Amino acid sequence: MADQGLEGSQPVDLQKHPSGIVPTLQNIVSTVNLDCKLDLKTIALQARNAEYNPKRFAAVIMRIRDPKTTALIFASGKMVCTGAKSEQQSKLAARKYARIIQKLGFPAKFKDFKIQNIVGSCDVKFPIRLEGLAYSHGAFSSYEPELFPGLIYRMKQPKIVLLIFVSGKIVLTGAKVRDETYTAFENIYPVLTEFRKNQQ
Amino acid sequence: MSDAFCSDCKRQTEVVFDHSAGDTVCSECGLVLESHSIDETSEWRTFANESGDNDPVRVGGPTNPLLTDGGLSTVIAKPSGGSSEFLSLGLVATIKDRANEIYKRVEDQKSSRGRNQDALLAACLYIACRQEDKPRTVKEICSVANGATKKEIGRAKEYIVKQLGLEQGQSVEMGTIHAGDFMRRFCSNLGMTNQAVKAAQEAVQKSEEFDIRRSPISIAAAVIYIITQLSDDKKPLKDISVATGVAEGTIRNSYKDLYPHVSKIIPSWYAKEDDLKNLCSP
Repeated sequence: MADQGLEGSQPVDLQKHPSGIVPTLQNIVSTVNLDCKLDLKTIALQARNAEYNPKRFAAVIMRIRDPKTTALIFASGKMVCTGAKSEQQSKLAARKYARIIQKLGFPAKFKDFKIQNIVGSCDVKFPIRLEGLAYSHGAFSSYEPELFPGLIYRMKQPKIVLLIFVSGKIVLTGAKVRDETYTAFENIYPVLTEFRKNQQ
Repeated sequence: MSDAFCSDCKRQTEVVFDHSAGDTVCSECGLVLESHSIDETSEWRTFANESGDNDPVRVGGPTNPLLTDGGLSTVIAKPSGGSSEFLSLGLVATIKDRANEIYKRVEDQKSSRGRNQDALLAACLYIACRQEDKPRTVKEICSVANGATKKEIGRAKEYIVKQLGLEQGQSVEMGTIHAGDFMRRFCSNLGMTNQAVKAAQEAVQKSEEFDIRRSPISIAAAVIYIITQLSDDKKPLKDISVATGVAEGTIRNSYKDLYPHVSKIIPSWYAKEDDLKNLCSP
């Protein structure tokens, strides 16, 4: 992906990322309050790229192409924006949705914008002995290969959930600021190297 | 009639036992020597020609620590418990007791209401098997779980582990499943020889050293396939699939993953290098 390519070309700040690896942000979930009641049927009929099935889900689902995101727009005026790759893009996308709502004739504002969740991923590029890790960090780990192939690691500080796979790919979720994702990865990296699976 | 010392007559006198009152009475002066005796003999008589179907014993069963009052009260209605689940899987009493204990502890927290009871029962069973070092696959548990799905049981299991962890103040340790845990049972289901079972157990042990990204149960199934293909009693994929609960396609793909390592995985005492060449290429 483009972001990864760009980040790959930049020299990594080893002060901040001692491992030399920077997790790539994959998804941002944010919320904003438009602070006015919305007539969802009107929005669904007038707006392009809008879906509305009140029997299935009580919000309009709207998409824009740039930044490529999806919004859930509720009658109360609350909106959820998902799919952005950075905090700035998430806010930009939310503003665009708000603008669309304004053009449809609603007095939409832009209050209480907040990043709710950040999902990051990276690849340490060596295989990991998940069972040894699960055994040593039993209090934080859940590894059930029958149910899910990755190890679920619930880090306490920062409060981040990591999915660790045998292949060395890591998913970090639950952050509200970017630095939490980075800190969580730097915390887990020494553990991953400790449980590196040495090939025969 | 028998003799006893009478305190009034001051000598040994004949006494009469009054059964209805439980009194022992002196036959000479009428003094009650002993009262309220307990008759320890049988309260009914048995005859040779009577049928033995009626059992008039008055005592009940032992106390049950899993019930709130120890089982001392009378139950008006007896709901169907999880007993039928244990019979199907051939589980021993320790696992049954463990599962009942786990269920009681979760139930006592009053927080399992509204949750899928079938999945909860199945998850208790699954955890008990794991804790007694005789794990069963989730699929096997599903087969006796009254329609609870694998995902539901997985969620119920996470919930129970969390609740018990909160209760004990520490995490509930079950360890992780290994292919070797299931090997003997799978091989037994297929009627494999002891030599083949031993070889299969060794093989899965060695397979853990390699970077094979498959569920341990899939690896167990693939190893069984390899071992049986090398033996005189070859097993078709279908039989292995039924015995292990792993889909045939998955066994084939797992076999493909294991194939590059067969010379290091299969014990040399079981199959020579030449024999390994006879394995069909995946």
